[in-house]
Amino acid sequence: MVGLNGVTISVVLFGIGLLGLVLRRDLVVKLLALGLVNSAVILCLVSLGARPDGAPPILATPAASAIVDPLPQAIVLSAIVINFAILALALVFVMLLVERYHTTDSHRIERASAAEED
Amino acid sequence: MRRAPVFTILAAIVLVAGFCAVVLTGFGFREPSAGDIDAWADVARRTGAINVVSSIYLNARLFDTLLEVLVFAVAVLGVHFYLTARGRPEPVESIPESNVVRIAADILLPPILLISIYVVLHGHLSPGGGFSGGVIAGTGLLLAAIALGTDTVTARLGPRLLDRAEWGTLLGILFLAFAPIFAGRPLLSDLLPAGTPGRLASGGSILLYNALIGAKVFVGSWVIVRHFVDHRGEI
Repeated sequence: MVGLNGVTISVVLFGIGLLGLVLRRDLVVKLLALGLVNSAVILCLVSLGARPDGAPPILATPAASAIVDPLPQAIVLSAIVINFAILALALVFVMLLVERYHTTDSHRIERASAAEED
Repeated sequence: MRRAPVFTILAAIVLVAGFCAVVLTGFGFREPSAGDIDAWADVARRTGAINVVSSIYLNARLFDTLLEVLVFAVAVLGVHFYLTARGRPEPVESIPESNVVRIAADILLPPILLISIYVVLHGHLSPGGGFSGGVIAGTGLLLAAIALGTDTVTARLGPRLLDRAEWGTLLGILFLAFAPIFAGRPLLSDLLPAGTPGRLASGGSILLYNALIGAKVFVGSWVIVRHFVDHRGEI
């Protein structure tokens, strides 16, 4: 039996985000799902580095217990910033698509662009 | 037409199952030994910073952080480029904000900026750092933009100053990374002494990096917000 910890929650969140990314047709909802996937990955990495009675990775704290692994937290920082950058840039592309095709529905956009090519 | 959703659902299930399988194997993850963590704590002691995380991403793995800042700068440049090329649409009539929002913004903005400066400057001593502090300041400016309108805020800050600050901070970060060469030290090493751990003036160059990254993230997030608000249109 897998306990309810950060890793299992992140797997559920990842699944929800992935389903939203694949099944939903609205581009903005797709981007929200992408954000959810990213948050799930961040949660997963930080949970992997955590331990039940670990202290925060700051040396000055009165060290009742050992600090947690600081490496995942440092790596995750890049993921957060790059997620922000990707979402901002992707939203701009969604705006450009909406301006051209007047819809956020990915199927309609595909059909309209295929009709344009013919 | 009916088959397409079935395929996508199947593909999604396969993907999720694959991910779960990877998770069940634990990503090949092994519990970090006390020695591993001690090694990182030693890195922090060497740099003079108390915060082990910031001593990793601003000292031991500085190269990663530099490229991360570059990715952020490229995203800001992309937003700037595509939305400027699109031209400014018909200005949407702004809804006048109530006095509550305006007065709340007046009261809250100074403490928000003060907290952000604290978070940036104490990045090597406590949780926080340039990225989070910069986002706090950018959010404060967003509050001002909600209360006053983006045009007023941009005019008060000076649009040219913002453009210069955006690239000036990036050049500053890159210069700081390359500057140790001129002092006869290896690339990406510290320029300042480690100092006494726990003091504000400690941690080598981490303080400078945090300040520059904070300014960079502040300006960059404001540029992104401003462009999005300027180009809000009707679908």
